Amino acid sequence: MTTLKSFYNEKEPYILGIGFIALLILIWESTPLWLTLPRGMALFFTTPSKIAGAFYRLLINGEIEKHSYVSAVAFLVGLGLSILVGLPLGLVMGRSRTLDALLDPYVTALNATPRIVWLPLLILWFGIGIWSKIVIVFAGAVFPMLINTYVGVKNVDRVLVNVVRSFGANEWQVMKVVVLPNSLPYIIAGLRLAIGRAILGVVVGEFFGSSKGLGYMIASAATNYKVDVVFVGVAIFMGFSLILTMSVKSLESRLATWRPEATKTF
Amino acid sequence: MKVKEYYEEHQRALLGLSSFIFLAAAWELLLTYVVPLNPFFFTKPSLIAIAFKEQALGGNLWHNLAISSRAFIWGFSFSVVIGIPLGAVMGWRRRVEYALDPFLTALYASPLVAIAPLLIVVFGVGLLGKAVLVFLLAVFPFIFNTFAGVKSADPLLINVVRSFGGKERDLYLKVILPSTLPYIAAGTRLAIGRGLVGIIVGEFYAASEGIGFAISQAGDTYRLPEMFVGIIVLSLVAVLLTEVMRKLEITLAPWRAGEEIR
Repeated sequence: MTTLKSFYNEKEPYILGIGFIALLILIWESTPLWLTLPRGMALFFTTPSKIAGAFYRLLINGEIEKHSYVSAVAFLVGLGLSILVGLPLGLVMGRSRTLDALLDPYVTALNATPRIVWLPLLILWFGIGIWSKIVIVFAGAVFPMLINTYVGVKNVDRVLVNVVRSFGANEWQVMKVVVLPNSLPYIIAGLRLAIGRAILGVVVGEFFGSSKGLGYMIASAATNYKVDVVFVGVAIFMGFSLILTMSVKSLESRLATWRPEATKTF
Repeated sequence: MKVKEYYEEHQRALLGLSSFIFLAAAWELLLTYVVPLNPFFFTKPSLIAIAFKEQALGGNLWHNLAISSRAFIWGFSFSVVIGIPLGAVMGWRRRVEYALDPFLTALYASPLVAIAPLLIVVFGVGLLGKAVLVFLLAVFPFIFNTFAGVKSADPLLINVVRSFGGKERDLYLKVILPSTLPYIAAGTRLAIGRGLVGIIVGEFYAASEGIGFAISQAGDTYRLPEMFVGIIVLSLVAVLLTEVMRKLEITLAPWRAGEEIR
């Protein structure tokens, strides 16, 4: 008895955390047993076991692979482009006052507005193929990347910069020796935010004017009342973003153990 | 000399303003004199201004804005009413934190918009569907920021209040609330952004009125000036709301300004 109790005390956070999720799934699964839903509601209802069944079915017939591939390409290319553009631009904006002042109005305005408002325009310009999705993913992910790099550069110790300067370093060397290593934790945090935005871009981009991809799978399943398929898609997106954000987060905490986690800003 | 001083003082604002004016002018001139304008593909500032005047005077702009705001305000209010107490309980009671944290963190980290089509199908294309979507997206920043705020309350201060015979009420009003407010303000700013995503996705997906509907319909019918009017109005609202929250954050907790990453 005492060993059981001490075991519980030791592992309480895990037991309660996992237990709560398990309880929710159990309640969800058993709902049809103790509650007869009206016909209209039953149409929209599904259970975890049915979702798992649909997942297995779609995995076997290759649906998931087909749609995931399209989504993954849009995600990776868009995110890659946003790093290629956001990182250098953030570095330059952090180092140059004039450029910062010139570009700031656009960055603020574009960052405050959800980038998906541009989707109809992007579909008009780039068609309903993969390019409009890549561009919307890019547009979503580039700002967290840019802004975090910028904040990181701004927070670099002035003394260090001056020391390196005094020893005759040029701007490129200052960048390489002081600025880049010191802003790395911010950049990684920016990457985590960018991943979230990029996934949002993939999901929403594929909802509209699309014929492939996980977002399309969800949207078309919803219109056909295939609720279990909707949840399969949602679960895949959840799994992807959880794995990605958690791995970046562990990288983050390894790089910056001294930075307190004040707020969660996904 | 005066001019130079003035410039030095307001350099940032002046450079920003001039770059904005320059871009607008270049856009206008380029499409008027250099490149022939294809109205199905692009537009220019003067046409957007005309469309804005039409929309603002006789068109549906204000009506659409009102429709979207109503859904936004409903969803947002519910996320405040549910998110803040839930976050407070999680911060204050250890067992509640243990039970809820993994579940809610997983939901917060995942793209919940993915469920939008289902919500629209279940709750309809009107106010309810959009409000539920806004709620679902906006509630998490409130939960987690309130949670972090309560957690950040200095235990020393709590003990001081207790030692001097403070009641539970004093504890809440004098220690926990003040240390939580800046976090809630920051959470509100995040929630505004997420809530706007909810409104736009909901109205893009299926709606018959609202600013998101206006944008997507203008896009579908190649009326680019009107589409830009919608986008610009929405951007203005978003910038206004976020900047007000940012100012509020700085007023509430000046020592934290610039510390948090957007």
